[in-house]
Amino acid sequence: MIALTGLFLCIFLIVHLSANSILLLPEETARRLYNSYATTLRESPLIKVVSYVLYLSIVLHMMYALRITLANRKAKPQPYLVNKSNENSSWTSQNMGFIGLLILLFLIVHLANFWARIKLGIGDTVGLDASGQKDVYEITYHLFQNIYFVLFYTILMIPLGLHLNHGLKSAFKTLGFYHRKGLRIVAKISLVYALIMAIGFGIIPLIVFLK
Amino acid sequence: MIQKLDSKIPDGPLENKWRNYQIKSRLINPTNKKKLNIIVVGSGLAGAGAAATLAELGYDVQCFCYQDSARRAHSVAAQGGINAAKNYQHDGDSIWRMFYDTLKGGDFRSREANVYRLAELSSPLIDHYVQQGVPFAREYGGVLVNRSFGGVQVQRTFYARGQTGQQLLVAAYSQLYKMKRAKKVTIFARHELLDIVRIDGKAKGIITRDLVNGKLKRFAADAVVLATGGYSRVFRLSTLAIGCNCTAIWKAFKRGAFFAAPSFTQIHPTALPQTSAAQSKLTLMSESLRNDGRIWVPKRKDEPRAPNEIPEKERDYYLERRYPSFGNLAPRDIASRAAKERIDKGYGVGRLKNAVYLDFKHAIERFGIDTIQDRYGNLFKMYKKITGVDAYKEPMQISPAAHFSMGGLWVDYELMTSLPGLYAIGECNFSDHGANRLGANSLLQASIDGYFILPNTINNYLVNILEEQQPTIEHPEFEKVESEVKKHIDRLLTINGSKTVDHFHRELGKVMWQECAMSRNKKGLESAISSIEEIREAFWTDVKITGSAQEMNPELEKALRLADFLELGLLMCTDALQREESCGAHFREEYQTKEGEALRRDDTYSYVSAWEYNKGNFELHKEALTFEHVQPAVRNYK
Amino acid sequence: MKVTFKIWRQAHSDAKGEFKPYEVNGLTEDMSFLEALDHLNEHLVRSNEKVIAYEYDCREGICGQCGLFINGRAHGPHPHMTTCQLHMRSFKNGDTIIVEPWRAKAFPVIKDLIVDRSAFDRIIEQGGFISAQTGTAAEANSILIGKKVADKAMDAAACIGCGACVATCKNASAALFTSAKINHLNSLPQGHQEANKRAIEMTAQMELEGFGSCTFTGACEVECPERIPITNIAEMNARRTKAKWMG
Repeated sequence: MIALTGLFLCIFLIVHLSANSILLLPEETARRLYNSYATTLRESPLIKVVSYVLYLSIVLHMMYALRITLANRKAKPQPYLVNKSNENSSWTSQNMGFIGLLILLFLIVHLANFWARIKLGIGDTVGLDASGQKDVYEITYHLFQNIYFVLFYTILMIPLGLHLNHGLKSAFKTLGFYHRKGLRIVAKISLVYALIMAIGFGIIPLIVFLK
Repeated sequence: MIQKLDSKIPDGPLENKWRNYQIKSRLINPTNKKKLNIIVVGSGLAGAGAAATLAELGYDVQCFCYQDSARRAHSVAAQGGINAAKNYQHDGDSIWRMFYDTLKGGDFRSREANVYRLAELSSPLIDHYVQQGVPFAREYGGVLVNRSFGGVQVQRTFYARGQTGQQLLVAAYSQLYKMKRAKKVTIFARHELLDIVRIDGKAKGIITRDLVNGKLKRFAADAVVLATGGYSRVFRLSTLAIGCNCTAIWKAFKRGAFFAAPSFTQIHPTALPQTSAAQSKLTLMSESLRNDGRIWVPKRKDEPRAPNEIPEKERDYYLERRYPSFGNLAPRDIASRAAKERIDKGYGVGRLKNAVYLDFKHAIERFGIDTIQDRYGNLFKMYKKITGVDAYKEPMQISPAAHFSMGGLWVDYELMTSLPGLYAIGECNFSDHGANRLGANSLLQASIDGYFILPNTINNYLVNILEEQQPTIEHPEFEKVESEVKKHIDRLLTINGSKTVDHFHRELGKVMWQECAMSRNKKGLESAISSIEEIREAFWTDVKITGSAQEMNPELEKALRLADFLELGLLMCTDALQREESCGAHFREEYQTKEGEALRRDDTYSYVSAWEYNKGNFELHKEALTFEHVQPAVRNYK
Repeated sequence: MKVTFKIWRQAHSDAKGEFKPYEVNGLTEDMSFLEALDHLNEHLVRSNEKVIAYEYDCREGICGQCGLFINGRAHGPHPHMTTCQLHMRSFKNGDTIIVEPWRAKAFPVIKDLIVDRSAFDRIIEQGGFISAQTGTAAEANSILIGKKVADKAMDAAACIGCGACVATCKNASAALFTSAKINHLNSLPQGHQEANKRAIEMTAQMELEGFGSCTFTGACEVECPERIPITNIAEMNARRTKAKWMG
């Protein structure tokens, strides 16, 4: 279940990043396209269904992760006095739970920044742009003038990248893909994918800040 | 006395004996089988195979091993392979040829009928293991591969990389657990047999020590099967697992089972040499290496040069020189003795000058490194792990080491010892290998004893005791034996001397290796007997064991095993002294030809020595070996 | 050579354990690690102390009985090696060497460095075999198995059951052990008949024993003395999924 929800979230991230890259366009075009994209997201019934699947995926992913982490802890009640796990495995693979928590922290802030304001209407009202759509671009732009938010959004993409790299290739194995050469390719794809996601998401706030 | 040594060979021509036996043997109906309880001690190929098969037949089986799991039994360590007269290679093999090779390899000191049965059942055994999922080596087309092995000129050895023993054992162990799941077998791991209970002249149970908490436990049964392996740890340094011991068969011996040919011990030619006094074990490198490796020593004594710097013409390929037709594939006893001869003369190599070279240079040139890697990759890796040397670039150093016990409890054709109701199967019996075992025949013998023979012979005994009242563990004899065991343990623990168990084991090993290994003589054996007496005396007055009997106590376990080894050492030397001839692994220096080859004396010594324990004394019985179908010939591997 | 061992001592399964330091002199580089412990034990006997309990049998890397967690690694500092194959030349004079038992809920400590690995036997009991009675086999070459298939089965079958995979896994997962057995038997034609049942029952027992689940850290395949690849676990997952759908 972790693998399935994880894979779905991975696909979601691709869409999310493609949309976010609109922010890199010149300001006027970006504002127009970004806002209309945001409106489509809010109003399309299909997207509505997908969004519920998304929420559910996030919740399930977390719940199962929590359950599995607790069960695994129970399977190893006594730790070693010395454990050089870095010599036989990656730090990431040993700390997926912790990394996941960092991502959760990010997610909470991220949702508070956008989802809460735009969808739930908590906090300041969202202004409208020239064509009468909610000016999501303005919110984004405004948020990323704050250096602390920029740093937060950028730095926390590091754990995201790590999590995605290990998560994606492991998901394939969990789901039973065992072709040896294939798995080597999957590992490479995971790395490239994780790099693109981490750098892509990480660089956008920076660029917006510097614009 | 003669009565006691009835080998019960069935009538008829050699080819029909086993079939005739089966036709005549008595059967037990399934309902009655359920009521019969059999104890199997040991969980190697013989033990696990027997326990699983007996359980399949419907008997109620209890299986014991001292290790933490049945899968650890030392069958696991056999590397090279298992022989079978399948003639898949179309190279002229047959049951008869395999029978003859084995009998000849054993220097005509085993029974024709037993050996023939071994060869006869080898073929169905391979079928059996394939069915159980053993991943034997295959050709690209899917058929099984064979290789040749020391002492024969046909390719009849089946193998699973260099881990054949492990693969066969895992198969046997999994069958054992299959029957555990079927609730027909109970497995007692970490239980060591400490004595056998004999009631009215029959084996009726055992006393074990639970190695986790030290508790002594009684188990009663209708028959007891020992499958406890070899005893070469009497030399301390051997290729055996550290826990291998003679306690079960020694207790059986003391309870009335005869011990046959105790001195017949195989010294394996291709082990890694000893490098220090603290060494606990000599690692075996599979004999299969001799298929492609060439053995040599420098022609100059105390050669200081590294092996690769010694030119071809200054190397002495002594096996090829002395035995041109078999060369590096000469049988183990011959190869070991030839190595000893070179080492003793000062041509040995390595730090302690106690090794010879095993060189793959020519094989790598001829077949390419990939082929050699495919054949022996894991052995080369293992060699590197232990010695730090890359054998693809530099020859291996090998040395002879104590290995297999051809001797063991005397058994008849039915594998029953001279104590009724007590059976011995696998390496712990003396049956098929004579004075020397051929490579890849040990897995075979252990498996066949356990899977095919015992399950077809034990019924002949059990059918007679069906009517008898089965003694329970409340029987006074159980009480008595248990208290003897307890006294024995307490006595050891109260000595509280100054030396460790290992100290005495090293002393014993030194004497045994010096006087009762590759070559023996009267004077040496006599002095060995008195030395061992002294060591034994010292052990019983000066050994120190810490900890108590009521807990897990590895030191106590070692001491209990050594106490029996010290007595066994005496019997081995006594046996070697008695046999005034050279045959197979038993080489008496007084009896050799001018060329230094073994001189067998068929006129006087064509018998199996079977020793009876009589209040501390060993009494010799002789089972004459008659050869109706082959003429004992002088073994010639030239 | 002189080293200090810091060794876990625990009198029995219910006792509280602790690390105790032991300074050991007179070692040589050629000694195996277990021989160094033997040496220490002889010294302990002479000083009237109880010996340290640790496991071994064959001392040639095949029986799978030895297994210690040495300086933070299962079977010591090298990959693909058993404890008995480790030699003192891997350490330096004056080193402190920490020796711990395998840690896992499913492997309770029995004494000192000895743990109970019978959970493995119980996993095998749930289908790690081919249900065929002695005496029912057909001619061996009547089952053709290509070299590739046989080799792959052998790769998995090589498992020695030492438990290093569980010991090193942060989740104490027995997935590598279980998958090796399932794949060995299920990939051979002899094992096809019971393939689905085997995959389901063995994995169920694995979970029942209290082992954790695999998160693919990859530590197990590094410590495995037999180099059993972690792809076996992926293959087991596939076989189990297939078995669940196919019934």
